[in-house]
Amino acid sequence: MSDTSSPSSSEDFERWGGAAAWSAGTELTPMQTLLWRAERHPVQSSTTTVVIDLDRIPDWKRFVAATEWGTGLVRRLRQRVVEPVVPTAAPTWADDPTFDLAYHLRRERVASREEMLAAAAQVALRPFDRSRPLWEAVLFEGLPDGAAYVLKIHHALADPLGTVQLLSMLQSGRRAHTARKPVGEDQVAPAAADPVDLAVGGLRTDVATLPGAARATARALGLAATRPQAVLASTLRYGASVRRLLTQTAAPSPELSPRTGKQWSFLTFDTALDPIRTVARQGGGTLDDAAVALVLGGLRRYHLRRDSPVGEIPVGVRVSLDRADDLGNRFAQAIISGPLSIDDPVDRVAAVRGEVLSLHTERALEVLDAAAPLMNRMPSFVGASALRTAAAPDAFVLTLPGPPRKRFMAGAEVRGMYVLGPLPGAALTACLVTCGDTACIGVNVDASAVADLAELEECLAEEIAAFGG
Amino acid sequence: MSGLSTAAQEAIDAIEAGPQGPSVGAFFDLDGTLVAGYTAATFYGDRLKGRDVSPAEFLRTVVTAVDGELGGDPTRIAHVAFSAMRGESEEAFADLGERLFRSKIAGTIRRESRALVMAHQRAGHTVAVASAATKYQIAPVARDLGVEHLVCTQLVVEDGQFTGATDGPMLWGRHKASGVRAFAREHGIDLAESYAYGNGYEDVAFLSSVGHPTALNPHRDLRAAAARLGWAVLDLSDPVGGSLVAAGRTLAALAGMNAGVGAGLAWGVARGNLQEGRNAAVRLATQVPMALAGVSLDVLHQERLWTHRPAIFVANHQSALDIPVLGWLLERDFTIVAKKEARWDPRAMVGSIVIDPAWIDRGDSESARATLDGVVERIRAGTSLMIFPEGTRSATPVLGPFRKGAFHLAAQAGVPVVPIVLRNTGELMRRSSLVLNPGVVDVCVLEPETDWSTDDMSERIAALHTRFEETLARWPA
Repeated sequence: MSDTSSPSSSEDFERWGGAAAWSAGTELTPMQTLLWRAERHPVQSSTTTVVIDLDRIPDWKRFVAATEWGTGLVRRLRQRVVEPVVPTAAPTWADDPTFDLAYHLRRERVASREEMLAAAAQVALRPFDRSRPLWEAVLFEGLPDGAAYVLKIHHALADPLGTVQLLSMLQSGRRAHTARKPVGEDQVAPAAADPVDLAVGGLRTDVATLPGAARATARALGLAATRPQAVLASTLRYGASVRRLLTQTAAPSPELSPRTGKQWSFLTFDTALDPIRTVARQGGGTLDDAAVALVLGGLRRYHLRRDSPVGEIPVGVRVSLDRADDLGNRFAQAIISGPLSIDDPVDRVAAVRGEVLSLHTERALEVLDAAAPLMNRMPSFVGASALRTAAAPDAFVLTLPGPPRKRFMAGAEVRGMYVLGPLPGAALTACLVTCGDTACIGVNVDASAVADLAELEECLAEEIAAFGG
Repeated sequence: MSGLSTAAQEAIDAIEAGPQGPSVGAFFDLDGTLVAGYTAATFYGDRLKGRDVSPAEFLRTVVTAVDGELGGDPTRIAHVAFSAMRGESEEAFADLGERLFRSKIAGTIRRESRALVMAHQRAGHTVAVASAATKYQIAPVARDLGVEHLVCTQLVVEDGQFTGATDGPMLWGRHKASGVRAFAREHGIDLAESYAYGNGYEDVAFLSSVGHPTALNPHRDLRAAAARLGWAVLDLSDPVGGSLVAAGRTLAALAGMNAGVGAGLAWGVARGNLQEGRNAAVRLATQVPMALAGVSLDVLHQERLWTHRPAIFVANHQSALDIPVLGWLLERDFTIVAKKEARWDPRAMVGSIVIDPAWIDRGDSESARATLDGVVERIRAGTSLMIFPEGTRSATPVLGPFRKGAFHLAAQAGVPVVPIVLRNTGELMRRSSLVLNPGVVDVCVLEPETDWSTDDMSERIAALHTRFEETLARWPA
């Protein structure tokens, strides 16, 4: 009965324990707050969608029970965002007293995978009810080979990395049911879950920190008075860096416009991970760099086929602020000039690597993080327009670590995990998730920006094959 | 090679311990890496001095430069300069490059950068200069360092004139990186085993294309990036520039020199022995001023200066400082051969009273030979002779070819040749500088060589030249 190839259930327990401790803070971070308040759905959407291929249809009752258990374990899944009446404080998480699992989880029947992906895109395009917990899941049945689980989750609840982590944590290493699973401790609801209390509390904190802030300002002014040259020079250098980050990227490609951001179309690909890692190594880059090079290669083919000579396009990448090679804890979003003129994948990886590492000389790399707390004190349209004016790339590319081994959801094996990210101004967003030894690539395309979607899909598939060979 | 900082020495040890051979590349940025400062600024300064620059062009250049600093396109300044060169002759510009190299740029080559280049050359690596600069700036430096390959921005030349355009992109930032990758493909270089050295924030892509990147005297933004990326950072000392204090000390030294000469000669007159007075004057005129300037000597094998007198002393020549240094070393009973034109040079007049040089007229071979006959007589009578066989001061520590005159004299007079290797006099007092900086001059006296004859003279001179080079490359402990 028990699956001998799967890891022991003690590993499951450890992971589930980690899931229970996930998302401990009660307040939204400044960046989350900015995304939350500035959201203009779907163009400025902060929604991530995950599609999970399952090898069979799980038993619905067991599936509901498992979800019930999961939301009990990870309390955040039963909480909603409470805003103060005036933005003097960050929004906070509070238990939703009316939480109803049936609202968040349902099942639907589809006849094919294409139909499922189209339905998933429609789910993703529907705005959230912002007064409820910020997730929604559909189990699609009726597919020729198994089923698909589609989870839509808001960035304030979890960013794409967090979403994949969370899902990986909640899955089981065994096909069989685990009878005695850890359950979440009953957390005490945050004290100030009332919008007025929150605002007053925020004001009180502001007043309390006022002397400190005044002292800091005085210190800064004193420094400026005693060492004006140093302060001026450092300000100018910071400004120069901001300007470089905002302006010195490639011009957007005419082949990837006009973008409305209102027609999402999901594409999925999977391929062996090892050949991609090999190309990455040969080019001296990371898997992240290889993923960017891969998407650029697909777009290169697309541009060539459409006789559109474009040398480089702006690509949004995620840069670790801690170390270059690994997944650190702090990230910045930045835009590089992605080369479309390089044919050789290895050379393209090397070029991307150079571009990404060059960002580390920019002192303003954290500019959006730095500006977020300030912008959160302003009306939400200020933050929204700030996010919009931050130049939008043609494509976002992201790599995420998925489960390293075989995993199960309510007795069904996870065959692939695809992340379809939002399109804040971009023509496409591509996510590479590592699932065991497979690379699962999900691409969300703004269908209004791409003239020939089938052609683009073919070009991406060809480039993936080129990396594999 | 001693005299390097610990960090530089460690970097060289690592190169020696690493893989050898031409499949390993070593790529050096030019401005700020091989040389301190910007060669382009030197070229532009020359344009300004020559008043080739209209006020409008000057304004445009300044505005573009400031804009580049403030986050605008930093390569635009170069394109402004390139387009201003339209119609100029390539040959004239190449000549200008050579001239500026000798007068200004040669003195800014970092000694420790040179040592790094030499370490890579000894390891048999393929060494290249990779820079956004043009070959007119780079070629003289590369030649001086013995570097054969250039990866650089190419200017379009038609009918011997610049068109103002570049052939391909300016090799800055990513383009430099792709230029290096293309070079590596062409020359079969394994980039993962290779080395690169750069100093600017734009060098990250270039540096990241090799397995062993080094941020050399990096600007602050590259320094921050290198720390984050875990790259090696190497801080090398810059060639010493003339400070005000050093200038003051030089003035004091000159005064000291004259006072020394006067005092020595007066003492000789008082004792009724002019030769003794001269010797005293030499000591006073060299040791006093050098002490005032803060210069001291570190001499290896000093005893060899005294075992074979009279002799012909030969030394390498980099600086005006070489003459007082040798005066200090030889101390007594020596003279020099000098060209006739220098006789009325006011700076030489003091010296000529003291050491009574043999003046030779280079334009008149008959009289030159007669003078030299006289010199041979003086040598046989016990006066040693000091000659710089390179003939003229080198612009850099690279050794020039040796002329034969000194060795012919040794054969004729039947005296030995005592070779003296001088290091870093060129650093303490640059070629065309009047300012002497404080520091230690390294001196190594080589084994004296006897029995000179015309039969095997060329081979022996070549062998001696090699010994000079080896001593300069690997300073004996």
